[in-house]
Amino acid sequence: MANTDTLTGPPAATAPPPARVRSRPSRRRDRIEIAGLIGALVLMVIVFTIASPDRFPTLANLQTVLDQASVPLIIGVGATLVILLGSIDLSIEGVMGAAGMAFVLLIPNSRGGEDHFLLAILAALAMGLALGVTTGLVHTRLKVPTFIVTLGIWYVGLGVATLLFGTDSIPTITSNAITDWPQNTFLALPHSFLLAAVVIAVGVLITRYTRLGRFTYAIGDDESIARDNGVHVSRYKVAVFAVAGLCSAIAGILASMQLGAGQATVGIGNLFLTIPAVVIGGTSLGGGRGGIIRTALGVLLLVTLNNGLIVAGVSANIRSGVAGLVLIVAVVAASWANRGRLAVAK
Amino acid sequence: MTDSDLITDGRAAGADVPVLRLRGLQKRFGQLHALKGIDLEIRRGEVVGLIGENGAGKSTLLKILTGIQPADEGTFEVNGERARFRGPRDAVAAGIGVVHQEQSLLLHLSVAENIQMHAADAGDGVRLGLYRWGRINRRAQKVLDQVGSKLDPRWRVSDLTFVERQMVEIARAVAAGTDANATPLLVLDEPTSLLEPAELAALEKEIRQIARLGSVIFVSHRLDEILRVCDRVVVMRNGEVVADRSTDAVGEDELFELMIGRAAKAPEREVRAATGEPVLEVSGLTRRGAFHDVSFAARPGRVVALVGTSGSGREAVCRAAFGAEGYDSGELKVAGRRVESWTIPKAIAAGLGYVPSERRVEGMVGGMSAIDNLSLTRSGALIAPGKQKQQASEWFERLDVRPRGPKLELERFSGGNQQKVVLAKWLKDQGLKALLLDHPLRGLDPGAGDTVKREIRTACAAGIAVVLLPDTLEEALEMADEILVLRDGGITAVYDVAVDAPTTLDLLEKQL
Repeated sequence: MANTDTLTGPPAATAPPPARVRSRPSRRRDRIEIAGLIGALVLMVIVFTIASPDRFPTLANLQTVLDQASVPLIIGVGATLVILLGSIDLSIEGVMGAAGMAFVLLIPNSRGGEDHFLLAILAALAMGLALGVTTGLVHTRLKVPTFIVTLGIWYVGLGVATLLFGTDSIPTITSNAITDWPQNTFLALPHSFLLAAVVIAVGVLITRYTRLGRFTYAIGDDESIARDNGVHVSRYKVAVFAVAGLCSAIAGILASMQLGAGQATVGIGNLFLTIPAVVIGGTSLGGGRGGIIRTALGVLLLVTLNNGLIVAGVSANIRSGVAGLVLIVAVVAASWANRGRLAVAK
Repeated sequence: MTDSDLITDGRAAGADVPVLRLRGLQKRFGQLHALKGIDLEIRRGEVVGLIGENGAGKSTLLKILTGIQPADEGTFEVNGERARFRGPRDAVAAGIGVVHQEQSLLLHLSVAENIQMHAADAGDGVRLGLYRWGRINRRAQKVLDQVGSKLDPRWRVSDLTFVERQMVEIARAVAAGTDANATPLLVLDEPTSLLEPAELAALEKEIRQIARLGSVIFVSHRLDEILRVCDRVVVMRNGEVVADRSTDAVGEDELFELMIGRAAKAPEREVRAATGEPVLEVSGLTRRGAFHDVSFAARPGRVVALVGTSGSGREAVCRAAFGAEGYDSGELKVAGRRVESWTIPKAIAAGLGYVPSERRVEGMVGGMSAIDNLSLTRSGALIAPGKQKQQASEWFERLDVRPRGPKLELERFSGGNQQKVVLAKWLKDQGLKALLLDHPLRGLDPGAGDTVKREIRTACAAGIAVVLLPDTLEEALEMADEILVLRDGGITAVYDVAVDAPTTLDLLEKQL
């Protein structure tokens, strides 16, 4: 630290700060936190293995966990980006419903329909993209907080899904190839999980190596400083919401495949799994700090917790209580370092 | 401290075209005529000081130069070409780099990213949409070398000390100028107002070095510093340039007069004897890793100053005394009684007031009106709006808070006027017994600084005990009755100014 080196005297006498020998505290903290998440996951697996040695550590059960985790893992990528911006996306379930419904109606289903598989995928993705871009534009152009915009888009998504649904019977997917695809395995890993892994890999690439990702951190850190640095804040915000919309759409397609039918409420329960997972992973709700790998670990923690408790025969009421407790403990642990009383944690 | 050879060096390299030429620049905000036709020229290799009271129009001028706001009327040329900035990017493209008054780095990004926000945008740091970290880091390293910094570009800014961050700010401004392939113009907006004396010397040297790369506009409230660092000084008052002098031909007193339109009063001080029971007494106060065995007593009508460098722990002591941070051992006595589990509400109830150094974050609620800010510390559940309003206008008058708009949101006032309101918040309280002032003059112009100092003296005369953490040693010598020097969390010297007044050198030696 330069402060204590010299005081006055000729400036030439100022010793250069020995910066290079200092370690990097923030990188070290990151590593410790991620190691902590992995440790917690391992610990949980050990505890559940001891609690139900016959039923928890089986290949089938672990595959179930990964299959169940796949949808929130995919949503988590978009949700993390949005939260890194310092915004929030509540529209996830609505977008999933609209995209999922568009997908199901364009593939062979119980109402008839022809096989437009590629078109179905594209239509669903376009639906997610459109809703995401709409969110971004309403937020940036009309200056509406994302909390409200995305709450609105949630209902718009549900509305679109219901409209597509019409008044007919529930459209179930008739092709077994499609409904079985998610849980079929490749190298013992379910396809659904592999899809999630691909989405996560793309997300990590975005956050570490692209302007979109780096500027997302910049905007979340301090929007006005980012703007003064010449970052096109609005443009990047719209782009992030577009990516989040795409993630929700992919999740909607996958969830519809898993369900085997088109339903407006196909995404139900995912929002309140994913947002806590982002927080547990250590991404700051204020934006600017965190990452996608952290969220993925958070999702795996919560899904494993839920699965382990079910397998151990714990009742549903206690399960949600435990999940809530884990969330609070994780948030306290994450903010422990900033708990100074006058220091404003933002 | 002369270093004119460096400066002439830079000047010799320049051609006749000025780096910057302003003509008749005007700007209005509603009824406020912020700039009333500014003419200014900056030549190559020149360091120009810009001074003026808060509200003189400096900030507005800088905002126009850096593309944050457009001018209403008038023209300006950069390197002989007519410039019209639509945003900060255009200013950067023209080679104007800024170091803002408040640090404007993105804490969670790396040093390299901060330095090259724009460069990464411009092209070869990014290929196929992907960052090439090696290239970005190497380029940042080059700029850091250029400004003489030894920082690692891969570090995250949140890991750096304040001075290191300031170096990153400067490196970024230099990078912006150099990338534009023009003579860079650096705008340094009070880069020194938050620095400790030790850090100042290093920065002043830095500024002279930068003059070799391009030109510098240097804004500061410290007149001695302006005279040391700059070739020329431009004085602004009420939106106009009132003087443009070579620093060889002007003195501090004259600058002060030009700036505020009246002569500086030599501070009158009467030495007060150490009588009266201490209002606040600290003995053997210790917190591991922050301070140890600190003892002092704040008596009615006396000012105790704690001085030290940025690692000295004096801020932590001050905050512990106010209950804002904890301590491990030692004793805290208020009005003769030992207190336990000290908290801010208890401290306020006991008649303590605290003006924090981080005014914007801790001292005020920016979005609330000045009236409401004044009433923050009052007790009782009910509010009497009439009385509140009357009290506010009295204090606005007394402290000359401008504009006289107690209903305006506090964040819309200038820094000096905000500080006056923060101070009035405590002073208005009849039960106030002791004031803890953490850098109360930080970032204030001399006019506002005078008002704040006057109020501190008035409060003292009324029997209030003051604990002061001054920005400078001169401030300590001017204001204090008793001076404590801290180093690495411990007291190294205590001076009773009435008996043995220390010199600046004495104080410096005890800090190191």
